[in-house]
Amino acid sequence: MTLKSLLISSALGVAMLAPGAVLAKDLTVAIQNNLTGLDPTNVNDTLSQTSLRLIYQGLFGFDEDMNLVPLLAESYESNGDATEFTIKLRHDVKFHDGTDFNADAVKTNLDRLRNPDNNLSRRSLVSMISDVQVVDDYTVKLVLDAPFGAMIASLAHPGAMIISPAALAEYGDDIDRHPVGTGAFIFQNWAADTLEVSRNDDYWKGPAKVDNVIIRSVPESGARMAMLQTGEAQFVPNFPPELIKVIENNPDLTVETSPSIVEYYVALNNNKEPFGNKKVRQALNYAVDKDAFCKIVFSGLCKPADSIIPEGLSFHVNAGDYDYDLDKAKQLMAEAGYEDGFSTEIWANSNTESLRAMQFLQQQLSQINVDLNIVPLEAGVAAQRIWSIETPEDAEVQMYYGGWSSSTGDADWGIRPLLLGENTPPNMFNVAYFTDDKVDAAINGAISTANPEERATHYETAQKLAWEGAPWIFLGVADLIAAQTADVTGVHMLPDRGFLLEDAAFSE
Amino acid sequence: MLSYLIKRLLGTIPVILMVTLAVFAFVHMLPGDPARLVAGPEATASDVAAVRAALGLDQSLPHQFLTYITHTVQGDFGVSLKTRRPVVEEIGMRLMPTVWLTVIAMIWSVALGLLIGVVSAVKRGKWPDYGGMILAVSGISFPPFWLGLLLINLFSVRLGWLPTGGYGTWQHFLMPSFTLGLGVAAVMARFTRSAFIEIAREDYVRTARAKGVPERSVIWHHSLRNALIPIITMVGLQFGFLLGGSIVIESVFAWPGVGRLLVDSVSYRDYPVIQALVLMFSLQFIFINLLVDILYVLVNPEIRYK
Repeated sequence: MTLKSLLISSALGVAMLAPGAVLAKDLTVAIQNNLTGLDPTNVNDTLSQTSLRLIYQGLFGFDEDMNLVPLLAESYESNGDATEFTIKLRHDVKFHDGTDFNADAVKTNLDRLRNPDNNLSRRSLVSMISDVQVVDDYTVKLVLDAPFGAMIASLAHPGAMIISPAALAEYGDDIDRHPVGTGAFIFQNWAADTLEVSRNDDYWKGPAKVDNVIIRSVPESGARMAMLQTGEAQFVPNFPPELIKVIENNPDLTVETSPSIVEYYVALNNNKEPFGNKKVRQALNYAVDKDAFCKIVFSGLCKPADSIIPEGLSFHVNAGDYDYDLDKAKQLMAEAGYEDGFSTEIWANSNTESLRAMQFLQQQLSQINVDLNIVPLEAGVAAQRIWSIETPEDAEVQMYYGGWSSSTGDADWGIRPLLLGENTPPNMFNVAYFTDDKVDAAINGAISTANPEERATHYETAQKLAWEGAPWIFLGVADLIAAQTADVTGVHMLPDRGFLLEDAAFSE
Repeated sequence: MLSYLIKRLLGTIPVILMVTLAVFAFVHMLPGDPARLVAGPEATASDVAAVRAALGLDQSLPHQFLTYITHTVQGDFGVSLKTRRPVVEEIGMRLMPTVWLTVIAMIWSVALGLLIGVVSAVKRGKWPDYGGMILAVSGISFPPFWLGLLLINLFSVRLGWLPTGGYGTWQHFLMPSFTLGLGVAAVMARFTRSAFIEIAREDYVRTARAKGVPERSVIWHHSLRNALIPIITMVGLQFGFLLGGSIVIESVFAWPGVGRLLVDSVSYRDYPVIQALVLMFSLQFIFINLLVDILYVLVNPEIRYK
């Protein structure tokens, strides 16, 4: 019996014998990996960040469509060149420990985060701030040392969420074991693989509709699915596409899919021959059928890429297309002097999806005589061989398959770390080692203003130029898939693969 | 006996030291920079350097080893690089789930394995023997991963009798301990059977039968007692392995044990946790070996240590 037929039979089993109703109004969410920490300013993975949104809130945040919304802030103003931001704060907010939320709390938090001595991993979100001024109890002014148009989007990132200053003073470095925020839920316990939070009855938006939220790490996807079927869990974010068919016919479960902001691509090391030649890079783009990529790697739950950033990010434009066209690809290869193709290798993190993607690319590129050697890398090895390389000349990477999601929801963090000429490893992620003066100018132009129209113009230029320059093989934007029991409402996945649970409710 | 014990205990010290050194060297030879992983994806090169210094990873390896040894001797295993919780706490909350699961799995599987093994040996070449050995071979051959999902599907999803996974009530133990113990039971059954068949050819067994000792006593008293020595060795080995936490079982049943912790820690290059875990596993093995030696004496008073 294969795994699939086993799972199908289990789905049929549930249809015959529905699990009993959930008694307590506790929402259990089953996720794959363990959380890595509870200090939002010092965790790097989306799962931990998004789970912490239950406890903590930022000045700004996102709604379920990743639109920027004010949370602890009421409004903001900035000067024309994006070097000063004045933020008005909400008056009616208290932390879970009873401390008032006010301008001093914001200053304490931002000063803590931007202080290099604290070694907090999300420091880059606010490192451009040179001074945080308390104007009055509920107004702060941020003074930047250089223009940064994406400041507000950075403050909406979970890494910039606000921690109770009293708790910071009390617990110091141990704050990640005693999280105290302003969110809809109060921290209860974090055990080996489970985070438990309970309702905050004094929540400023009004109390949540479930008593407790339990986030449990269950590594095996078949087991997560079984938990949904038995009612042990009500929400499974990042559900594997290959299991959808199994639960689609179950009336007690629903599956929701929506576009993400995770774009997949193959970075081509522009410093290495033959990828220094734009014609070769474009030829590779024409040689890959993006629709087939979506079908094979993501079971069709994915859209072909049409720019260097996904549609869900602000300032996205359709930058053009590289329709699957083998004749054109071969012609470009011939013009570049590679009609007989070449051999190269592709690296990616070692997981099922990446392996599938690399095998697909191997087959596609063989059509234009490019012989691809597949090299999966364990995460620590990838960190060493790709992201810790000190100088571009030392880089061994030729092709790298990966995905990127901009957790600020803004074009800046979707483009600047990946394609600005100076942002090569180890500082950032320009693993294509792509340098284009015009693209650099557009990226820098966009962060030197807070005016949305000017930023839009710059980002349009950057997207069109970078698309034409083809530093990557542009592939696709994967869909989000979440499965839940039908009696739960108000749970959503965010386009960056996080989730929103605050409005969760049971319909019975 | 006492002096033997003391000698054995003292003898473990160089073993532990060697293990400690080997683990330290192995962990630090793994490719991948923990400072990079701790500092986070958006950290600049200087941030990473600062983190490396803060973690003491910029020191020379001998220096780091010395620090590690001095701290370990004082019972200080440091703080997890990933969660920043003390390593002792990190392991502490996962150790008992693994220990209990192992103990329960061992109890039923050794008992059942012994029984099947003895019956198969006594009824050699008859249907109980074939039946028992078919069971044993199946037990060894079932992939635990597949068996685990099969059980979840049957008992949790279809019948709704047992929770799919997690650690808590006695119901939580049933499926994981069955899945974990099945392979052990199978090995024990085969091992007991062959040990028993060997013994059955011994003169003292024939003598016992000849002088009219009842068959039941021949089997359970004369034969089993002598077959126990290799069986105990095998139990000790299996127990030691299982205490390391079964990664597959712990993943399928979402069991918060040390096996999963080790895998997570290796992928994060969480040096302090990896080092402490491997040290703990070696100590467990040394302790179990000692226990096995003591059991030898209890089982067979003729064994005398000098």
